[in-house]
Amino acid sequence: MTAALLEQVVNGLMTGSVYVLVALGMVLIYGVMQVLNFAHGVLFMLGGYLCHFFFTRLTGSYSLALLLTMALLAAIGVALERGVFRPLQGNLRNQVIASLGLILVVENLVIALWGPNALQLRVPATERLVALGELRFPLQHLMIIAVTALVVAALFAFLKYSKLGTALRATSQDRHAAMVVGIPVERLDMASFALGTALAALGGALVGPLFLVFPQMGDAPLVKGLAGILLGGMGSVMGAVLGGLIIGVAESVSTLYLPTDYRDSVAFAIMVLILLARPRGLFGVRVRGEG
Amino acid sequence: MHRAFIVILFAALGALATPAVAQDKVAIGIVTSLTGPMAPPGKFQMNGFNLAADEINAAGGVAVGAHRYRIELKVYDTRANPAEGASAMQRLATVDKVPVVLGELHSGVAAAEAPVAQDYGVPLILTVPTGPNLTEQGNPFLFRVNASNDQLNLALAEFIKQRGWFPLSFIAWNNDAGRGGVNGMKKLLGEDKTGYVGYFNVGDVDFSSHIANIRAAGARAVMLFMDEEPGSLAIKQIRDAGLKTQLIGTLAMGSDRFLKRLDAGRLEGMVQYNAFPPNANTPRIRSFSERYRKKFGEEAHGFAAQSYDGLMMVAAAMQKSGTVTDGKALRDALAGMEHDGVIGRIRFDAKGQAHPPVYVTQWCANGTRRILYPDNLKADCGAG
Repeated sequence: MTAALLEQVVNGLMTGSVYVLVALGMVLIYGVMQVLNFAHGVLFMLGGYLCHFFFTRLTGSYSLALLLTMALLAAIGVALERGVFRPLQGNLRNQVIASLGLILVVENLVIALWGPNALQLRVPATERLVALGELRFPLQHLMIIAVTALVVAALFAFLKYSKLGTALRATSQDRHAAMVVGIPVERLDMASFALGTALAALGGALVGPLFLVFPQMGDAPLVKGLAGILLGGMGSVMGAVLGGLIIGVAESVSTLYLPTDYRDSVAFAIMVLILLARPRGLFGVRVRGEG
Repeated sequence: MHRAFIVILFAALGALATPAVAQDKVAIGIVTSLTGPMAPPGKFQMNGFNLAADEINAAGGVAVGAHRYRIELKVYDTRANPAEGASAMQRLATVDKVPVVLGELHSGVAAAEAPVAQDYGVPLILTVPTGPNLTEQGNPFLFRVNASNDQLNLALAEFIKQRGWFPLSFIAWNNDAGRGGVNGMKKLLGEDKTGYVGYFNVGDVDFSSHIANIRAAGARAVMLFMDEEPGSLAIKQIRDAGLKTQLIGTLAMGSDRFLKRLDAGRLEGMVQYNAFPPNANTPRIRSFSERYRKKFGEEAHGFAAQSYDGLMMVAAAMQKSGTVTDGKALRDALAGMEHDGVIGRIRFDAKGQAHPPVYVTQWCANGTRRILYPDNLKADCGAG
């Protein structure tokens, strides 16, 4: 029983890490621009496809493919911010509709380019099995947890100590005040989009070798990442990290006690329970002027 | 003398001209998936139809009375979508006016097409869908060449009983096919023989929670009710997690194509039910597999063999009934027919269901397969 529990905690940390990568990107963009980008799931998926392309067609090096994928998606993020979200600035409803439309555009573009069937992304180096006691995990599985932990640590350091990070935090606390003190908020919009989509791309590129790369691979991470954000508290980076991990671990461990088809319900039941007790989520902040 | 010469000359000219001039065409409706999630199995189905049509046409077409008809396939892409299936069926019956329709891959789509076939009196011959309910609707115009899930499960259950692989755990689609399959097996084997049962949703790729549960339940064997894609992921994850339990798979997991997704090491020892072992040492199967490989450059597939047999039966029914237009007469001809097909002897029962042999094959260490069941067709590695 303890082995099964340990196994499920490790599995949950892996899925949770994937949710965290999606949630972090959405929270960064939401913090700065106050818009929820629902296309984040398809950008995650695009990360998987581009990594497949860079790895199998271009470089043959997985780590290089990861970096190229993140860089290209950061550029795509900037293009989306300038081309789609900035022109709609000030109109939240249209921004949300645009992000929903982007889902269709990206998904069908991917299907047109790569076809509707799942692709295998085989990285021999990370297929190696690692033994933890009597349990065995593919190296890729543990790598997802480790890389996410590193990225989260780096992101916290960036937000806390770098000038750009401080500006991002300032803008997400109060956009107008940030403008008053001379922070170029529009450039920060671009930066948040670049960073956010790069994180989503990293998620897709990390998950690809473990599972498959297919057009719907971002659907579940989007919904669970969103649940993680709500659970952790809208706009809180720490909340997104903890929320994503809690949902991942809870749904994995629940399968030991409940039928596995209830696993999604467990994730959302936990979200509802926490929101009942703390309506703003775990780390939600009271925003001035709001109820 | 002179007169006789002219008669002979005309007769000779006539004979030369017959294949070119007097040969008519008959269009036969095909419903399949050319795009969408079922496109890969759809390709096997179409290969079977194309091979049959080419062979019939190369032999001069179908002889009905004094006429010879070239077969022309009128293909509609139903994209695993019931609405598309029903409208394609309607179009084939009313616009294209075909006398008979074959094909389909998806049981849900077939269920939408069958009533339309009955309404217009056009026989619909299924060659791939396995949903057991399809032939239980009292529809006299519906036939099925391939074995249904009930028939496949019956054979597999008998095999599992022989081996005593209990408790048996399941990982299955969370849909009609998966739940129906699990319930069918439970009924055949007895509730007390089952271990852990886990369902996953279409699109799920992470089977880790099922694996932890199977390990905890101490299952002797695990049955995977799913198709190729999740199947390859589940097997990879089960073996990577170090779970050494006996694996039992479905139709989709006994082909070279499936081997390409994984590797022989992970598959070794796994068994699966199978409607068509392409390498079996039976003359009809060997000859079909050779012709198939020559035309398409790959290993023959059960879906192709079933579809090939379906179209061959239609040609035979046309010959037997003497019509290429009357759907009702073709239905009656099909109902009473016995056909020695590639997959075995095909005879439709009162419900329109055929009873071809069902095999259980096993993966060998070198990536070939052996036949373990039925006992009279047992064959060693390389023959499955």
